Amino acid sequence: MKPYEWMTRYTPQHEWIEKKGIFMPLAFYFGSLGGGLYLVSLYFSSLLGMVIAWLVVGVFKGGSHLIDLGRPFRSWRIILRPQTSWISRGLILVILFLGFVPIQLFLFYFFPGTIWETVVKVLAGIAAFGTCVYPGFTLNYVNAIPLWNSAILPLVFIACGFLGGFALLLLIGMLGANVDLAMVEFGSMVFLIITALIIVVFTSSVSYLGPSGKKALKDLLQGRASLAFWVGVVLIGIIMPFTIAFLGYVNVYDSKVILFFALVGEIICGLSLTYVILRAGAYSPLIPNNAYED
Amino acid sequence: MARWGMLIDLNRCVGCYACMLACKQEHFLPPDVFWGRVLIGETGKYPVVHKEVYPVLCNHCEEAACVDVCPTGATSKREDGVVEIDYDKCVGCRYCLIACPYQQRTFYVGEKKEYFPHQGLTEIEIIGKQLYPFQDRTVIKCNFCAERIDAGIQRGLKPGIDREATPACVNACPSKARYFGDLEDPTSEVSRLINEKKGFQLHPEFGTEPSVYYITR
Repeated sequence: MKPYEWMTRYTPQHEWIEKKGIFMPLAFYFGSLGGGLYLVSLYFSSLLGMVIAWLVVGVFKGGSHLIDLGRPFRSWRIILRPQTSWISRGLILVILFLGFVPIQLFLFYFFPGTIWETVVKVLAGIAAFGTCVYPGFTLNYVNAIPLWNSAILPLVFIACGFLGGFALLLLIGMLGANVDLAMVEFGSMVFLIITALIIVVFTSSVSYLGPSGKKALKDLLQGRASLAFWVGVVLIGIIMPFTIAFLGYVNVYDSKVILFFALVGEIICGLSLTYVILRAGAYSPLIPNNAYED
Repeated sequence: MARWGMLIDLNRCVGCYACMLACKQEHFLPPDVFWGRVLIGETGKYPVVHKEVYPVLCNHCEEAACVDVCPTGATSKREDGVVEIDYDKCVGCRYCLIACPYQQRTFYVGEKKEYFPHQGLTEIEIIGKQLYPFQDRTVIKCNFCAERIDAGIQRGLKPGIDREATPACVNACPSKARYFGDLEDPTSEVSRLINEKKGFQLHPEFGTEPSVYYITR
């Protein structure tokens, strides 16, 4: 692109999706997934689920952020501006999560049912929810990108986090951990439906955001993010798991291998949706009423 | 306290790119980095079409989104309204770049980039790196030539009137399309022209209150 063409048309954001920026959707999704898995595991009292949730946030989310940062050795500075910056708030929530969860696990294992365990459980739960939802607020704060400046975005991340959390816990249960599989499968199905509904509401609300919203919707459904949206989110993420669950419900099959594919599909759904949202984000042109807008 | 601002008269701008080049020269900007740009677009529909030339730069917004989102405080706003970056504090998260509706920031990658590839840095480039030590993998942007403003004020000069205290792009403009001055002073030429000729800002709907105004037909 020539310097004189800069921002004369709708310009996609590329900082958080291209080159090393590709680690941002990964980091955001791992945060939601880890937070969601922890809360679901807490509800079903799955120790292994909670440990894995801690690892997902600490290792995968933390690692992705560190790779993405230009100057990772200065990352401690990020906690300095929680009064205005969602990235700062996010890091504090992640640190609280990573701090509270080991204490909670210790108390859960050695002193179950004590008041201290309950207190730490609540604190860890709040931090987990914050870790799950803050990527939505981080993006939602950017009013320069109409697609992201939607109040529904935090809900999208919560839905993705819980959907992935249920799927991962079911996988953990299928591998032998002590989990109520029927209840987790039911929860997984409920969140699949909720996620599908939120995606429909989110995409239809985008079209009300003026010309730039319509452009963003076009990108989402037909443009540069459409392959990931239709294949990753709709086909693999929603239709496939729903079909498998429905066939399992009417006893057409009884195979853990097929169910495994459904659960992997649900995780791909959340990851693809995060990718699609970041990929489709675009800025309005700087020249008012420019004929090149499309 | 003054609040520095700029007015660009689009009727006078001839699209010569002198401002863009003066900025690169003033700050020894490396290849592919522009703190100011001259955008070319068209308005209207055939056969009634107008070529539009818009010089753009960091707007040094009163309600700067980049300042709010910066998690380390590396981006801050001075009392005189200039939005500046402390490279020592920047972690390269690029949230400021994402949040800027005008996309006038650059993630500086490639400290060793040279104007003549594989021939080493020229003497001018070496001097530039000493004068403006940008840090690799941090964000950089226009600073309204704050070093010129500060040095000029110390010498008793007035930014916007005395060339030594005025941004390089304003000085370089051959058609006098750029004005620089104090937006808080109603008698300054910038404030007067904004009021008289109904100066407008780019994307006012984002509520960032840019300090760069435009006037047109």
